[in-house]
Amino acid sequence: MTTLLRDLVNGIWKENPVFRLVLGMCSTLAITTQAKNAIGMGLAVTFVLVCSNVLISAMRSVIPDKVRLACFIVIVATFVTIVDLVMAGFFFELHKAMGIFIPLIVVNCIILGRAEAFASKNPILNSFLDGIGMGIGYTLAILIVGCIRELLGSGSVFGISVFGPRYIPFLLAVLPPGAFIALGLLLGFMNKVNKKLAM
Amino acid sequence: MRDILELVLVLSIICLVAALSLAKVYDITKEPIALQKRLARLQTINAVLPPHDNEPDKNTVQVSLDAQGNEGGKVAARTADGSRTKTGAVLVYRGLKGDHVSGVAFEMKSLGFGGEVGVMIGLDPNGIIRGIEITSMNETPGLGARVAEPAFKQQFQGKSLNVTHFKVKKDGGDFDQVTGATITPRAVVQAVKNGLEFYQKHKESIIQ
Repeated sequence: MTTLLRDLVNGIWKENPVFRLVLGMCSTLAITTQAKNAIGMGLAVTFVLVCSNVLISAMRSVIPDKVRLACFIVIVATFVTIVDLVMAGFFFELHKAMGIFIPLIVVNCIILGRAEAFASKNPILNSFLDGIGMGIGYTLAILIVGCIRELLGSGSVFGISVFGPRYIPFLLAVLPPGAFIALGLLLGFMNKVNKKLAM
Repeated sequence: MRDILELVLVLSIICLVAALSLAKVYDITKEPIALQKRLARLQTINAVLPPHDNEPDKNTVQVSLDAQGNEGGKVAARTADGSRTKTGAVLVYRGLKGDHVSGVAFEMKSLGFGGEVGVMIGLDPNGIIRGIEITSMNETPGLGARVAEPAFKQQFQGKSLNVTHFKVKKDGGDFDQVTGATITPRAVVQAVKNGLEFYQKHKESIIQ
């Protein structure tokens, strides 16, 4: 029971994919211009992560070692395409806002990384929880980055104005360099907190 | 040898199952996706057309530019489902009020800062602008992308080729540029101008 719980919370703080493992940077930097996009991306990644983790874990004794990466990628790509199609059909606006970054989930290192490092070696339930935990960790991380960038760059959070109409947006925050700066500061902050906790 | 056969077999089965499930999902989502695309397109068209009581995307005229020559820079059109037509043709959506044409809308493109900027232009039958909408662009958020804001788009309402100088103010024209960006507004103004010239030239065949 304790190992299950550990697998679940592992991804949220200790091995947070964005802040601790520094994986999946492409989508983290690119789509975090708005909090809404961050949530959409987080949910999409979590769905793919959980599905691929469970399926790969279930098939771990069948998949031959030599072609495991090929098998993983096919499975991940299938789920990503499903997400892409479903989003285009039922969440059109969100799909338009994320554009190319939905198909790019296929090459998101978090998913293949968890398949290789966790799901292919652990039972289904543990892999499921690992997927949920990592998904939550990823979503929270990009949501924080997204909120900061939207707040500074557009003066709003989730499209709701915070600073009022007279706020002059700090444009750099929504441009690509702003993503690096925001993420860098957050990583530094996280490291500092972790050091404090370790002492 | 048996190793290799096993590898091939497992991978093939996985790929087969993946392909089958994708085919199924594609089939289920095909219609919703087409519907969403059509609604999005219709929304843009309706936003720029004068009042009408038909479905403008079901009443279209395709004006081929190859026969008459392609005027005023790049002109590209899109088909009803949003995909680009290969030929140099413009698809004109017509809004009807009763039996007569109350307005037309079509898309023009020109080169902006980050690639092509698509502008949907709505005109009344006399060639006076009723509204414009940005259909596609890849401009800098917060700078060039602000051409999609009402403040910029509304400038075009009521303008026409005869009375308006289609340039941004910086170039001695009648249109305000956006703070910090000149190239994108310039592209939009150019696209609208191209559109008006296109309409003037082909008015008869469009309205008939």
